[in-house]
Amino acid sequence: MSITFDHFTFRYGSQNEPTLKDIHLTLEKGQKVLILGQSGSGKSTLVHCINGLIPHSIKGDIQGKCWVNEQDTAHTSIFHLSLTVGTVLQDSDAQFVALTVEDDVAFALENQAQPRLEMIPKVLAATQKVGMQDFLTQVPYQLSGGQKQKVALAGVLNEDASILLFDEPLASLDPKSGEHTIELMDSLAHDHTILIVEHRLEEVLHRPIDRVLVMAEGSVIYDGAVEPLLKSDLLFSHGLREPLYITALKQAGVDIQSIPHIEVLNPAVFKAFAPKLKQYILKNPQEKLIPQEVILKVEHVNFSYEVKPVLKDISFEIRSGERIAFVGQNGAGKSTLAKLLCGVIRPDSGKITLNDLNIQTLSISEIAQKIGYVMQNPNHMLVKHMIRDEVALALQLRGFSEDRIDQEVNDALKICGLYTMRNWPTSALSYGQRKRVTVAIVLALKPEILILDEPTAGQDFAHYSEIMDFLDELNLKQRITFIFITHDLHLALEYTDRALVFSEGLLLADQDTAQVLSNPSLLEQASLKQTSLYTLAQVCEVSSEDLIHAFIAHRRSA
Amino acid sequence: MKQLIINVTKGSTFLHQLNGKTKVMLFITSILAIIMSFDLRIIAPLFIVYILSLISLKPNWKVVLGLLGFILIMQIFNLVLYWLVNPNIGAFYTDGKTTILFHWGSSYLSLQTAFYLAVRLLKMITSFLASLTFVFSITPGELAAGLYGLGMPYKFSTIISLALRYIPDISRDYEAIQVAMQTRGLELDKRRLNPFKRLKESIYILVPLVITSFDRIGNIANAMDLRAFGVQKNRTYYCELEPTRYDHLFRTLAILGFVLSIAWIVARMIVPPTTWMWYPY
Repeated sequence: MSITFDHFTFRYGSQNEPTLKDIHLTLEKGQKVLILGQSGSGKSTLVHCINGLIPHSIKGDIQGKCWVNEQDTAHTSIFHLSLTVGTVLQDSDAQFVALTVEDDVAFALENQAQPRLEMIPKVLAATQKVGMQDFLTQVPYQLSGGQKQKVALAGVLNEDASILLFDEPLASLDPKSGEHTIELMDSLAHDHTILIVEHRLEEVLHRPIDRVLVMAEGSVIYDGAVEPLLKSDLLFSHGLREPLYITALKQAGVDIQSIPHIEVLNPAVFKAFAPKLKQYILKNPQEKLIPQEVILKVEHVNFSYEVKPVLKDISFEIRSGERIAFVGQNGAGKSTLAKLLCGVIRPDSGKITLNDLNIQTLSISEIAQKIGYVMQNPNHMLVKHMIRDEVALALQLRGFSEDRIDQEVNDALKICGLYTMRNWPTSALSYGQRKRVTVAIVLALKPEILILDEPTAGQDFAHYSEIMDFLDELNLKQRITFIFITHDLHLALEYTDRALVFSEGLLLADQDTAQVLSNPSLLEQASLKQTSLYTLAQVCEVSSEDLIHAFIAHRRSA
Repeated sequence: MKQLIINVTKGSTFLHQLNGKTKVMLFITSILAIIMSFDLRIIAPLFIVYILSLISLKPNWKVVLGLLGFILIMQIFNLVLYWLVNPNIGAFYTDGKTTILFHWGSSYLSLQTAFYLAVRLLKMITSFLASLTFVFSITPGELAAGLYGLGMPYKFSTIISLALRYIPDISRDYEAIQVAMQTRGLELDKRRLNPFKRLKESIYILVPLVITSFDRIGNIANAMDLRAFGVQKNRTYYCELEPTRYDHLFRTLAILGFVLSIAWIVARMIVPPTTWMWYPY
């Protein structure tokens, strides 16, 4: 027995309601368990009860018991628990406390006052397990998100660690690195108990899972194998996303109950559904977009930081009302391009024209009235106490009249569904609501184009859908053109018409999104990966592009 | 990331390979000796030693010469002020000797003052070279280990290395916030704003910066707890090399220098100022 919760209830000191309610379960040694649940379902709290942050660092009320390796967590120090339980936090950047990889991996050993000569082989062994042995003297800002996460894992992989906890390991990774993480966890599964808290079911199922717990409102509402869960409607009713291929099969009228081992896309089984998929594709033809006028034109733009070229000869056009994805690895130049479009930096050569006007002649704040930029982290944009003041700030700085400010702020707040909250402090808002405020801030200037940097980062499916459906409505009703800078395959697939793929400063492709998502070598270069729709299309020998189009058409018609 | 002068990883030269505690001890003693002494017979050799040390570290000369030029200009300006305040300051240290070198109208320069100012300049340059050698030779981890080795509680030395760890992250946050504020219409061009307005508008950058930094602190605290930070009274450092015989040699020298410097500080309270500066003429 590895972890036991015995009628365990926990309430945070600052809250009235318990976050975990009467949890009663046992996790066996050596199991690989996935904990699914929306934000606020209590899944992260459960993890903190196992690693001892609760009750030792985070205070609250406990009823019942939690046992980890036969130790009662309430009476065992975090230090003792940390010897057998390793935790990889969601934000692996924040988890990096030292200045080099080797120092960071050694941090726990240093705290135990181990002699240096004993640490050296341990650090080497731990970094070898995660494949980071060639990066020992690298500094955190030279590493990618996936590499930082591996370092965080190496830092808790000491020789006695028998339980590994991963808190939303995929949240800040691009799809390709996420896949590596899933494979790495699988390679550790033979001698560790592994708990993965995640809501991206499709990605986690890249490798088999022994057991799934679904949490909702502080209780475990499902505990069992993956297959029955996929065949039930629990995922849907709890705002969790099922794998895309299952959704597509359901829409195509396939009886999914009859599919054996539905969690694995086995060609021998799935190719039988080809006729149904072909009908599905015929019934859901691609919506044809009526081309609108070109509003933004980028011609032969080059940009370099000091001497290092970041963007090389970039040219493309954007038409009014389009929804575009900028995809590519970190450092491919996507964010730099966004800054160029906003005028925060200026091209070394080339031309950017907005409605036939060269933006070189406009100031940053003039451009902002035409192209709005919504940052990834809403906290980077919030400076005022109240929502209304926050939205009014940009207008005040431009010296508009009070009447005009009132009018435009109210308009923006109404569009974003925040009007009734206009006098709320921004600090009282959820992450999703803050995101809305940042969109309202930018909308108040009535831009024609909105650039959003990873609008759904770290959001669960329900909040993700809420944000994206809201943006999609803006696109339809206000005719606003959207550019999404994103790693999120689902976002690109469902909410964009065209994708621009960047790699090492070059624009590799400018194509229909479905086309990009059906091109494995292009995806590889952009650190993306194929979705399960692509795999399903391959298995059933239908065109992946057609299947993706049908999938989107079906969703849009619903 | 913008270029920092600090090294995060250990270099390969002799001085780099010394132990962190040794480097901190040598630095403290050198600075103490240079500041306390007006004796050219001590300062000049140290000056040469530090020039050689700096060369041995193979630093980025562009950075070194840039900084050195800046310090030189500041110090010369400083010396001119010294001289203007008291043209005969040298006499104070040389028992009233005044050998006029030349006149400019009513002001003059004496040999003793020139000597005094030259010693002073060399002192400042040498202490600067010593600091530069220290900064170039040590990593933040070794600094933390060295301070801990000299008795500073490790929680303090950890704070220092954490601060260095997060400077690049915070500067990235700062840039992001700046971009966000510029697009909202905040004028950040220094030439177009009066200082009062600039101060007022800097709030718009500071507030989000503080909030995002607090988010980070919460996360780091959890990450450190989960890796047993602060459990034991003592700790070890992965980056702190085992002392070699060179470390022992240099530590002995450092302690000796430290004791002599302290002795001289005490002695200075008793002996007259004319003995403070060695004057050959």
